[in-house]
Parts: sequence; C-alpha cells; structure tokens
Amino acid sequence: MDKIWQVLVVEDDPQMREFFASSVARAAQLQMAAAVGSVAEALAWLDQPTHQVDVLLTDLGLPDGSGLEVIRHATRLNPACEPLVISMFGDEDNVLASIEAGALGYIHKDSAPDDIAQTIFLMLGGASPISPMIARKVLSKYAGSRAPAPNAKDPLVDSVQAGPTENAGNQVLSPREQDVLSLISRGFSYSEISRLQSVTIHTVQTHIKNLYTKLSVHSKSEAVFEATRLGLLQSPRH
Amino acid sequence: MLSRLLQVRLSGLLIGLLSLPSQAEVIELRQARADLQINGVLESRQVNLPYGWDSHHAGQAGLGRFSMDFDGPAAVTQPWVMYFSNLGNAYEVRLNGELMEQNGDLGQFNTSDFAKLPRLINIPKGFLQAKNQLIVSIRSDVGRRAGVPVVRLGPMDEIKRSVQLYMDWRVNSSVVVIVFSLLVAAFAMVLWLTQTDPRPQQGEKRDRLYLYAAVAESSWAMYVGDTFVASPLLPWVAWAILINLALALWLCAMLMFIHDVAGWAGGRIHRSMSRILMGLLLIEPLVVFLAFSTGRLWLNSVWLACFAALFLPSTVFFFVKAWRVNNFLNWLIVLAFVINVPVGLRDLYAIRIADSFGTHGLLRYSAFLFGLTLAAIVVDRFRQANMQVREMMENLTSRIAQKEQELGQTYERMEVIAREQERTAERTRILRDMHDGVGSHISAAIRQLQSGRASDEQLMQTLRESLDQLKLSIDAMTLPPGDVTALLASLRYRLEPRLKASDVELQWDVDLIEPLPRVDDKAMRHLQFMVFEALSNVLQHAKASMLRIELRGRDRGGAALRVIDNGSGFDLKSVKPQGLGSLKERAAAIGASLTVTSEPGRTVVEILLE
Repeated sequence: MDKIWQVLVVEDDPQMREFFASSVARAAQLQMAAAVGSVAEALAWLDQPTHQVDVLLTDLGLPDGSGLEVIRHATRLNPACEPLVISMFGDEDNVLASIEAGALGYIHKDSAPDDIAQTIFLMLGGASPISPMIARKVLSKYAGSRAPAPNAKDPLVDSVQAGPTENAGNQVLSPREQDVLSLISRGFSYSEISRLQSVTIHTVQTHIKNLYTKLSVHSKSEAVFEATRLGLLQSPRH
Repeated sequence: MLSRLLQVRLSGLLIGLLSLPSQAEVIELRQARADLQINGVLESRQVNLPYGWDSHHAGQAGLGRFSMDFDGPAAVTQPWVMYFSNLGNAYEVRLNGELMEQNGDLGQFNTSDFAKLPRLINIPKGFLQAKNQLIVSIRSDVGRRAGVPVVRLGPMDEIKRSVQLYMDWRVNSSVVVIVFSLLVAAFAMVLWLTQTDPRPQQGEKRDRLYLYAAVAESSWAMYVGDTFVASPLLPWVAWAILINLALALWLCAMLMFIHDVAGWAGGRIHRSMSRILMGLLLIEPLVVFLAFSTGRLWLNSVWLACFAALFLPSTVFFFVKAWRVNNFLNWLIVLAFVINVPVGLRDLYAIRIADSFGTHGLLRYSAFLFGLTLAAIVVDRFRQANMQVREMMENLTSRIAQKEQELGQTYERMEVIAREQERTAERTRILRDMHDGVGSHISAAIRQLQSGRASDEQLMQTLRESLDQLKLSIDAMTLPPGDVTALLASLRYRLEPRLKASDVELQWDVDLIEPLPRVDDKAMRHLQFMVFEALSNVLQHAKASMLRIELRGRDRGGAALRVIDNGSGFDLKSVKPQGLGSLKERAAAIGASLTVTSEPGRTVVEILLE
C-alpha cells in the first residue's frame, strides 16, 4: 500500500471540515486534495480534468443540495473512486440511500481523529462498515420472503433448511449474505460472525463490500427499470 | 278499440230496430190458440202474443201448445225464415205438421233451458202454402222466463236485416264481456297473489283491492256466461242458486271494491255494510230456493232490491268524494255508477217486477263500464304500489348514502383526533427522552464545568454519553416495537467504542426472538435505558474483566435478558448501586420483572419480559 490516496472532503461546517482535513493530513498515505463546502464547489472541483480523487468524504446535508449528488458525480467520473458519507448518527434511512447512491461506507462525525483515517484504510482494504440497524433494514428491503426464522439459535442451520428463496429471479442478496446480515442485525461482530460461520473475517468483509456494490447497482438498475416503465427511457429495439 | 266496436254494434242495433216496421213483406203473428197443461189441468184459450209464462202462471210450471194460422205470401222468390226472440225452456216448432226445430225435452221439467237466446229457423223451400199452421210447443219451468213471442216470418234477407244485429249483439257482446272479465279477473288475481306490501312494518299484507276485482270480474263472467248454458249440470233451482250467487258475489265485490278505492274500508259504515252484504250472501241459497221452488219470485226481487238499496247511497257518497278529490279515476267510477245503477234498477223492475216477457237485461252491456273501471283502477293501484316501492328504494339509497357520508366524516374526525394524539404522544416521548437522556447529560456536563473539579476525562465521558444517548434515542425511533434483539444489537453497536476502550471482554449471546407484542415503543425506550444503565454500571463500577449479555426466548412467550459480569459485586442490602433505583422504576413502568443478584465474581441483572 505505497500508493498515496487523494482525498476530497465536502462538508459545509468549517470546523468539521477543518477537523476532517487535519485527520486526513495525519495519515501518511492520505493526501488532502481539496476541502469544499457545497455541492456546486464539489462538482466544479471534480469537473477539472486535472483533479483526481480516490477517496470522497462527503456530508449529506449540504446547503445547496445533497451529498448524494456529489457521490454520483464522482463515481461517474471515476468509478474507482471510493466515496464515504459523513453521518452524524449513522441513521438507517440516510445511510441506505448513500449506499444505493454508491457510497462504500460512512464515518461518524464524533469519531476520534485516528478512527477516521482508520475507517478510510479499512474501507480501502475492502471492509465496509455496517450497523445492525442498517443490516436489518437491508434485509427487510431486499431479502424478500426469506425472513429469518423466529427463535433460530443457529442461522446456518436455518439457511440450509430454508434453501433458495421463492423470488430467486429478483434476488439481490445471496443466502450467505443474508446470513451474515442476519447475524449483524443481531449485534454480532465480524469476528464473532467469522467464528460462527467458520470463515475468515476477510470473507465476511468481502460479503459486506459486495453487498454495498450490489445495492448500488441494484438501485441503478431499479431506477432504469422504473424510468423505462414510466416511459422516460426507450426500451432497446430488437 | 273495444268501445268503438261496441259503438258500431249499438248503432247497428238501433238502426235494425228502427227499420223493423218498414218491412211490408214480413208476417207478424200476434195471436194464437193456446192449449195449456198446468198441474195436469188442461185449458184452451185464445191468447195474445207475446205470451210470458211467468206473468200468466206465476209459480207454476207447465206445458203450452200455441197454434197460429196464417196466409202464406203470394210468391216465394227466396228462402224464408221465422224468428223467435225467446221461446220455452224446451220447445218444438212445427209448420204445417212438419217438425222445423226442437230443443230440449218437453217432458222433463227443470232440466234444459233454451229460453235464453233468440232463434232463427229456416223454412225449407216449398213448405209455405196459401194457408199455413204454425204450432209452437213449449215447456215452462217456474221463473225461468219461458213463453212465446210475437212470431215473425219473412224472406231471410228481410228478417236477418232486422234481427241479425240483435242476435249477434246478444251473443258476441256476451262473449266479449266474458273474455274481458276473465282477463281482468286473472290479472287482478295474479296481482293479489304476487303483490305484497313491501313496507316491512306491513308484514306480508296483500292488497284486498285486487281480490275484490278478481272476485267481481270472475263472478260477472260466470253470470253472463250462463247465457250460453242451455243444459246446466244442476237442476233448475240449484242452478238458479249458483247463478244468483255469482250475481250477488259480483255486487258485493263491486261494493267492497268501491269502498276500498274511496278509502272507507275500516270505517263504521263500511263495517255495517260488510255485515249486511255477508248476511245477504248467506241467505241467498234460501231465498232463491224458496223463490224458484215455491213460485214466490218476489222474494228474489226483494233480495236483489236490498243490493240496490246499498248501491244507491254508495253512489251518492262516492259522488261527493269524487267532487272533493278530483281525479279521473274517481269520475270514471262515478260515471260507471251513474250509468249502471239506473240500468240495474230498470232491469230489476222490467224483469222481476213488471215481468215484461221479451225484454232483456241491459246490465250485462252497461256493466262493461264497471269492468273497464275496475281494470283501470287495478292497473293504477299497481302502478302506485310500484312507485311507492321505487320511492322507498330511492329514499333508502339516499339514507344509506347519507349514513355513509356521516360515517366517513366521523372516521375522518377520528383520524384527525388519532393523528393529534399521535403527535402529542410523540412530542411527549421526545421531551421525556431529551429530559432523561441528552438534557440530563448536558446539564451534568455544565455542572462539572462550573464546579471546576471534574477532570477533562470525566467531562469527555459525560459528553460522550450524551451523544450516545442521542444516538440511542434515534435508534429507538426506528426500532420495530418489541424487537428486543434489534434493540440489543443497536445498543452494542453504539457502545462498541466504549466497550473497546475498556478492558472488558464482551460475550454476546443473543438469540433471534420474535418481537414481543406487549413491548411497545415506550417500553422499548425504557428497556434501552435499563440495559444502557446496567452496562454503564458494569463498565464504570464493577471492575469486571468479563461482561456477558444474554437474550433468551421463554417457553411461555416473552424473553429473558441478562447482563452478567464477573466484577466485585455488591451487597444489595447495604450498598445502593448507582442507578438501581432507576432500573426498578423503569422495570415497574414496563411491567417487567427485575432480579438483581450479586456476589463477588458474579453479578446478574435479569429482566424478564412478558
């Protein structure tokens, strides 16, 4: 990991912006590319051809719009860009919307300065954070009919018994991903899950990371589907 | 259509009657030599025609042989006929010794009756001579209107021209009356059987008006139909009882009908009249039997006059009624009365009292107007009943719509109230939350700053807890009510940094349990505080190296939540651990049972949830 990662911070509160900038500056492998305070500034900065961003840290509630716009713009320009959402509470609705917009993780505003760099590195290393509340929300939104069995002591046994879901055609989550999510929603840590599932922590992290990508892609294809259905897009001619 | 047909017929009849005397070629025989045999006594005498048996031999049956001599026509250029407007109940007509026509048995009294219709008898060619003798033999039963009329002979064309219309009229109009009456009767009967008052409070009540119409018209059809019954199934007196019963039923039903239309039904006068009518009906067999078996025909006449006596005042009353309630149908009834009552009285006088042989009752023609009126009123009543039903349905529909609207409004009001209550509850919850959580922590931080005694670390601790509380209260908003597993998961997630910062090993043993129905969102928040409190106690005071969190479903439903540590423990009796009081209060508030056991190395806080 010799690469120096270019970081863009989008945060309207100057104090917070300063805090994030200094937290980033403390990590040797991270370099502050810019710190801006609005969607317009962020988009303008991103549109400069010479500007390159590897990690995007953005607040959601910006004075002239939503951080989601910045995320979408940045990933469109550079698919390799890894966006992180700065969230005060990590509340499920905002976080899920960010994930669907393409965010690969989120950072709490009250994190310690070292934790911020730590979270960025974890994410770059392939570990996306996910809270039990978000796991539960994702499960209820995407798992369809495959609800976790009540009073299940061992989700593995249940998952084997439950088999493939009924709406397999519309399947977003794999059974293994659902099991991981289910355990997360019950409060188990990654290491506990890896022990329960007899896999490495890395595998669990990969599941979560894949999940992020899937949700983002799914939400995009869903948007296309919706747009086609509403007649906004023409369906491809055969 | 029908009335026009009748008009044509009627005018034809008048023309026919008026043109009668102008036929010079027609021979009329007005005298005869009669040989009468009554009760075995023979008697011969010269009589004038028409000879009505009942007026000459009241109450006596007998046989009569009437001989008439007449000169034949000078030249017979076309077929001749003889015409009899009536004849005996049985008869035999001989011309110059040859039998021309015979109907019924002259020897069997009280059987057939051929006296009801006019007869036209052909005279075969060559039968008429210069001197001719016509012999008409008749059988006369008591009160059966037998006799010998003025006999008319003449060329077929001439006679037919004068009598055909009358004969057709008598036959055809009777057929029309019968058919029409039966139709009206059937229609009314169907209505009576099928139409019930639709109003629920009226029960399955039928409209009597229909029944009266049905009875009146079917009786009338029977009475008029008697014209065509030459050979009744019953002997004469029994048949007379039957036919008079039909007539009486017609009269009764007509009166009841009119009273019903006028709205007098149920009144005192109506009740009296009904009783009288019932009485007249009941005595009918006796009266008719006596009248026709003993020859006291006046009994029958008096009995009929009783009906007339009831009809007269009803006519007057109804006229007054029609005057007040001015509508077409009422005036139609008045017209029917005004025409029929005098006609009926005239018939009664002409046939029963004056007993002028050869005259016929006219009521059978005029009563047709009654039939029409009846039909019109029945149809109108049916239409009104239908309209009532429709109005009722419309009324019902609008009432239902109104009720629906009211219900909708009530529902809306209730919804507004419910929303209001929800908002109030939410506001209360948030206020309580702020007071217990963030508010108390921030004020604690302020006190710490003011006192100047607190270390930075302590202050940091307070502020962190304050933010944790805020996050927990946000989690509590989205936690599904009763989902204790999710509650513990979010709590762990939020407290993870603090747990990491301590040296305590966390053992997480949380089962996935179904949301508890009796734990609402208020209880969830209390439970969150309780677990938070218990964990804080362990982290801050217990000096423990292990912290275990267990959640188990219970067999009878509900759940057991345990926070276990291996810290120093405390004496429950002497020491009041911080927050234990608040734990108890909250447990009581959510109806959970709280058990705290403590000994060095093992302290268990157990919360049992229903």
